[in-house]
Amino acid sequence: MIEAKGLTKVYGGKTAVAGVSFTVQAGLVTGFLGPNGAGKSTTMRMVMGLDRPTSGSVTVNGLPYAHHKAPLHEVGALLDAKAVHTSRSAYNHLLAMAATHGIPKTRVHEVIEMTGLEAVARKKAGGFSLGMGQRLGIAAALLGDPQTLILDEPVNGLDPEGVLWVRNLVRYLANQGKTVFLSSHLMSEMAQTADHLIVIGRGRIIADAPVQEIIAGTRQARTLVRTSDALQLSALLAGDGVTVDHSEPETLEVTGMDSRGIAQVALDNGLLVYELTPQMSSLEDAYFDLTKDEVEYHSHLTGGPAVAAPAAAGK
Amino acid sequence: MTETRTAPTGSSAGSRGVTFGGVLRSEWIKLWSLMSTRILLALTLAAIVGVGALTVLIRYTYLDEMIRNAREQGQTMTPEMLEASFPPGSGFDLYNLPNAGLQIGILILGSLAVLFMSSEYATGMIRSTMNAVPRRTPAFVAKAIILAVISYVITAIAGAVTFLIAMPVFQGMGFDLDWSTDGVLYSIFTGGLYVAGVALIGLSLGTLLRNSAGGITVLVAMFFVLSIAAGFMTLIPGEFWKYVPQYIPSEAGGRFLSIGHTDGVIDPWHGGLIFLGYVLLFLIPAMIALKKRDV
Repeated sequence: MIEAKGLTKVYGGKTAVAGVSFTVQAGLVTGFLGPNGAGKSTTMRMVMGLDRPTSGSVTVNGLPYAHHKAPLHEVGALLDAKAVHTSRSAYNHLLAMAATHGIPKTRVHEVIEMTGLEAVARKKAGGFSLGMGQRLGIAAALLGDPQTLILDEPVNGLDPEGVLWVRNLVRYLANQGKTVFLSSHLMSEMAQTADHLIVIGRGRIIADAPVQEIIAGTRQARTLVRTSDALQLSALLAGDGVTVDHSEPETLEVTGMDSRGIAQVALDNGLLVYELTPQMSSLEDAYFDLTKDEVEYHSHLTGGPAVAAPAAAGK
Repeated sequence: MTETRTAPTGSSAGSRGVTFGGVLRSEWIKLWSLMSTRILLALTLAAIVGVGALTVLIRYTYLDEMIRNAREQGQTMTPEMLEASFPPGSGFDLYNLPNAGLQIGILILGSLAVLFMSSEYATGMIRSTMNAVPRRTPAFVAKAIILAVISYVITAIAGAVTFLIAMPVFQGMGFDLDWSTDGVLYSIFTGGLYVAGVALIGLSLGTLLRNSAGGITVLVAMFFVLSIAAGFMTLIPGEFWKYVPQYIPSEAGGRFLSIGHTDGVIDPWHGGLIFLGYVLLFLIPAMIALKKRDV
């Protein structure tokens, strides 16, 4: 379990994380979602004691990370896939980390096998591809068979097989009762992996709820309506909590009234409606809704999905 | 590849926590697992002995020439006369031959010490280190111990080997020189301590500057450039400036390696204490910075 209270980090006058409080529960996969520069990595670094909070505190399994007697058994972290000496072999890297806790060599071999690194374990880590580096980072995180796993962008650079493997791994670990906290900018990935979401933007928590709730709660149900007399229907529907978007000829997007209500209005006024489609809200929509005011680096495209670009560009 | 048999709970991962012995082992693995370190250490040994042997050769040739010149003029030059022909304090002493190649050892082992820490910052390894040892200080102390021991052992071995080469050469010329000569064992012992101290300063510089080039530059400036600058300092008129240079790290440390009292010069053990002061002056801020700073 991870508990953050009023966690704040200011870098030279710029607030990266602004008083965030959250709890990551054991037995669940908790996703940490946010656009670039939102404070995800900074928050995770503070959890691991790498960065000192400007104010506030964070504990893992009841204690600040540095106060644990066997930190690698408490928390395994992948914060930066490149946290490896480039001239050292993957095997020796893991062996050196294991030595600090007296973790036996058999466990080193185990995590190498688990992450599929057998073939390259004796090669210099500097020559690893992004995906291999990511696997090595995950191997290091698993080394102590920790109670809590913190993974920053774990699927970054992995091939589809690797992505599936990470997804199964974190689900398995959560089912074992472990705490899994992973950040990602891939919303589709979160939708498939996470049980719970913490959404952060500009250093503040903007949502902290189960995935389904976030999908359902953020955007009001919309209905796509195609009608031969869009102007008249629009005039009849608008007002009283109902908004109507008329962007294409003969097409309306209605928010605040369900399809049956729209059909009734059309029937009462003798207007032809030839399509009525309820629009399902996706996690992606929910995410854009939540973060549209929070993205740090807007791309300068105009039009609807522009705000999506920086988030999808990855970190 | 859904290998979900991830967690043989606790059993194979062991349950011991961080121990200092473990951290020491970890740092040793880190040092030894880099091919470059092993090659460098072997080369250091060879370089110290090599420079030492060269010094032996130069001194032998010089003395041999003096003896031959004397013989041509129909005189006999005994080792005692040779020794007496050098003014005291001019560095004729043979007892410090073990440390003849010390400067090269300072340069290489000092740089290695800088790199032992700065390369962790350069590669990002430092974050893995801090994850495994979040209290941080034990990792630094372990690095310090390993560097100090390695520097000491290599310097002492190289010093002993240099002396083994020098001894028969000068004995052949009639000099009274063996392991029991005053200062021989002392200079082997203190030579190792001096280089170990330089390594600790190097480690501290690597930690404070978090940059390999910067750390090595400051180290070289401190131990090589500064002593040249100090040489110029003595040219400044006034008694005061004659006394300043002996307090710089390389001079104080160098003084520690010699024996006996010389007027107007600090005593060896003073030099040793001053040098120890310099080591602490870098070591303590480095430990504080490591503990406090974000990585």
